[in-house]
Amino acid sequence: MFENVYIDSTCFLYAKIIMSIAKPLLDYAKSLNPQKGFAQSFSTFKRLMKYHRKYPWYLAAITILALIRAILFAIEPLYTYYIIVNVIGPPTNTSLLPGYLLVIVLAGTGYAISNFVLTYVHGIMSQYIVRDIRSEYYRALQRKSFSFYDSVGVGDLTSRATVDLQLVDSFLRTWLGTILNAVFFTIIILIIIYPISPIMTLISLVSMPFIFYFTTRLWTETMPLFMNMQLIMGRLTSYIQQNIVGMKTIRIFRQEEDVVDGFKGVEDIYVNTAISAGKIQSIYMPLGPAILTLGIALVYVYAGYTLSTNQALAVIEVGNIILFARYMMRLTFPIRDVSQTIGTWIAAYAGLERVLKMTDAPREVEDAPGARDVKIEKGKLELENVTFGYVKDRPVLTNVSFTVQPGEKIAILGATGSGKSSLIYLIPRFYDIQSGSIKIDGTDIREFKLASLRRQIGVVLQDVFLFSGTIRENIAFGKPDASNDEIVQAAKSARIHDFVASLPNGYDTPVGERGVTLSGGQKQRITIARALVSNPRILIMDDSLSFVDAKTEQEIQSAIEEATKTRTTLIIAQRFSTIKTAEKILVLENGSVAEFGSHEELIAKDGVYKRVYETQFVEKASPMLEEAGGS
Amino acid sequence: MSGSYGTFSAKEEERRKRTTSDRALIRRVYHYAQAYKRNLRIGVAATVIGAFTGLAAPYMHAIAIDNIIEPPTLLVKRFGISVLGRPYLAGFLWWIPLFAAIILSNYVFQYIQTYQMRIVGEKVVAKMRDDMMDKLQVISLRYFSEGEAGRIISRPTNDANTVRIFLRLGLTSILIDISSILGAFSIMFYLDLRLSLLAMAVLPVAILLVWVLGKYSRAAYRRALITTSGLTARMQEDLAGMKVTQAYAQEKETEKKFQKTQDANVKATIRAILIGSSYTPFVIGLRLIGTAIILYYGVAALLAGTIQLGILVAFTEYQFSYFMPLVDLVTMYDQYQSCMSAIERMFDVIDTKVEVVDVQPERSIALP
Repeated sequence: MFENVYIDSTCFLYAKIIMSIAKPLLDYAKSLNPQKGFAQSFSTFKRLMKYHRKYPWYLAAITILALIRAILFAIEPLYTYYIIVNVIGPPTNTSLLPGYLLVIVLAGTGYAISNFVLTYVHGIMSQYIVRDIRSEYYRALQRKSFSFYDSVGVGDLTSRATVDLQLVDSFLRTWLGTILNAVFFTIIILIIIYPISPIMTLISLVSMPFIFYFTTRLWTETMPLFMNMQLIMGRLTSYIQQNIVGMKTIRIFRQEEDVVDGFKGVEDIYVNTAISAGKIQSIYMPLGPAILTLGIALVYVYAGYTLSTNQALAVIEVGNIILFARYMMRLTFPIRDVSQTIGTWIAAYAGLERVLKMTDAPREVEDAPGARDVKIEKGKLELENVTFGYVKDRPVLTNVSFTVQPGEKIAILGATGSGKSSLIYLIPRFYDIQSGSIKIDGTDIREFKLASLRRQIGVVLQDVFLFSGTIRENIAFGKPDASNDEIVQAAKSARIHDFVASLPNGYDTPVGERGVTLSGGQKQRITIARALVSNPRILIMDDSLSFVDAKTEQEIQSAIEEATKTRTTLIIAQRFSTIKTAEKILVLENGSVAEFGSHEELIAKDGVYKRVYETQFVEKASPMLEEAGGS
Repeated sequence: MSGSYGTFSAKEEERRKRTTSDRALIRRVYHYAQAYKRNLRIGVAATVIGAFTGLAAPYMHAIAIDNIIEPPTLLVKRFGISVLGRPYLAGFLWWIPLFAAIILSNYVFQYIQTYQMRIVGEKVVAKMRDDMMDKLQVISLRYFSEGEAGRIISRPTNDANTVRIFLRLGLTSILIDISSILGAFSIMFYLDLRLSLLAMAVLPVAILLVWVLGKYSRAAYRRALITTSGLTARMQEDLAGMKVTQAYAQEKETEKKFQKTQDANVKATIRAILIGSSYTPFVIGLRLIGTAIILYYGVAALLAGTIQLGILVAFTEYQFSYFMPLVDLVTMYDQYQSCMSAIERMFDVIDTKVEVVDVQPERSIALP
């Protein structure tokens, strides 16, 4: 395996992910349990209610406005009834008409205004709550470890905070108003019509239990399907993401057909689920209004029956019948709204679940009790019997021990999966070790406050990442209050100053989409400058020079040499030029230290280092395979 | 992800002008729907017939009131004649089954419409997505260059979803709205020409108002959308750079910047909600003025004996049933536009030319 020291690990990772994703995904989609979700939706709803607690005034305003709105909504049919009974008569009395019409218009306008204010207040509350949930989510993500970011796509995490929260938003915008409206309006109608005709009121209520029953059925039957759809869609999306991001690898391994077949299999399940859900929805959704309307026929039947049998006719007025019929027609709207709100909740629930799942995960690396700010004076580094694994009982590093003297530079060599990156990332506590100890200047790193530790260690990651913003902001990222001198000094050490100075706007040139386009080597040197700006005693570098040309390599090499001169440095070395300048070389094999010593010592030892040195560096194997691996 | 500055900006995507005409896009989508022609035809027919049967209900009430309930009641009231045992209410014998049949057929058509349109919507979008995925496997790798991933990913996901939702809800409500409006108009004109013209007097004002205020609202929503894109871009960049942030212990500082972006989004969205909901009071107010006009002249006509009570009541109901769809249609315009843009972007992927079949590097064989 050691011969593959050059091959980038990401290449294998993608191939593995893509090749193994299709089958589990299909199994997953088939295995989804429809029953479980229902109960869980209630507990999620309760959690969503907790976010409402911060806004009692908004809740109160919504309730009052909903009540006013429902009362005013009931006015128009009532006054039409008065017109029929009192104006048309008999006896006819047209003098009342203008007054009644005025009430209708005023009440309607009042209804419209309260509706408007309600929508607005509801909207503000929904935005605030979504903001609260998103902020919580963001802070939770800031606490996730490196391995989390290696395994989860940024696109997926972003879509949770945007697309999924939009679903929650559309539920939050109207839900309370809609439910209150249905409740208040029903109650108000009952209060109005009961004194007019108790029997007809009861008749119009006959349809209510049916409506309630079918609405519940709609809810219980479609809910699991919709949840599945959203889960499958989430998977489908990350499938598409993997496919697009890892396209190079897929092509190299000629996995195109497998990928597309797997994708289509999952998509079929999605489409079929969506259609089944659609069928259930189409059965139950129009049922409520239909039943309610049929209830009107019952009112007519009763009216007809009474008219032909009851002598007094006291209970039956044409106006009454019209009033009852119109109220029942009006009632179809809140009922339809409620079943729509249920639909939005189902979508919102699945979205919210996806967000909260991330928010709830515990923090992996934390300040130990009694942690303090410790100043690193010299930069002596001691590792003693360090054992570490991402998963318990599956160690990546076993009993690693070595000491680095202040100012020493150690080059780390090892095959893919030998634990190189894991090892250097233990120093700033990107991960916590399982046993053993790591000490800096004799102090255990767990006694440092996390921020204090990390700010004193310069880190150059393998991913060359710059934030959008100016070059100055990027270099000063770790020390926002850095002086201009400090920035220039760091840039000079990183051999990027001359280039930056040549730009028309110098250090204030923006980078990224709307700024200057930088080459891979220039970006890398800026990241080195970023690590140097706080003048750290310890520097760790994940050297990924793999994808630059010879000239750039030379420039970066010179930057690294300058940067590491006086600092304790751990550097993952990819090439001989780096190893050449290191005081010592550490060879990792299967998570253990295989060899540790100077170049001469290790050559003399005639072990694994010598073999690699002769096959890889002397013959200067082509770096093509790395290129194929992408990042 | 490596070597990139954050990720793509959705802003650019939103601002891009469309170059293909709506008609060309619709024709191509229709081409996809050809495979489900039967479902589509049944669905559209059911939608239109369903809307008409829905409109029949108020008219049925008018008949019940004017021809079945009112005559005997008037006999009793005006002339003191007892209707006991008389066959005046026999009308209900045919009215109730007819009414129930109309309601039931309305229900059945709604069921068919929802179900069939769902099938068409889901299958068409799935087919388009499949074509995109197929194409992505063969087009040049240059297409996947740095920073482009986000843009490409959003096509088979976000864009496809926009179209899905539009085909499922938007298209049917447009069909229902148009049928309801036309149906209500025809019935009203049939019932009483003069009263119809009076009822529609407020209509031009309402449409103008919705259109003008709708313009402001659309602008406000677009601004909110841009801040949402900004928030998405910020989120993506922060997450892509999270390792750097953690390495330099700058979590608090980055969060501050994030909160600033988020607050801008919250503010813009609240503003959009304010402007977006501001025209409904005017529209509702105008509708009620229309109702008052109908009642004012209606009562006069009723007392003069030119129309019957049931017709008058039916008028107020019909006015209710065309006004809201009309407002709905105007607001639907935005959804339609964003659907068209999404469709264009999807076809953009499907239409990408396969330049060269990528030559597979021979060295890949050497890998285990």
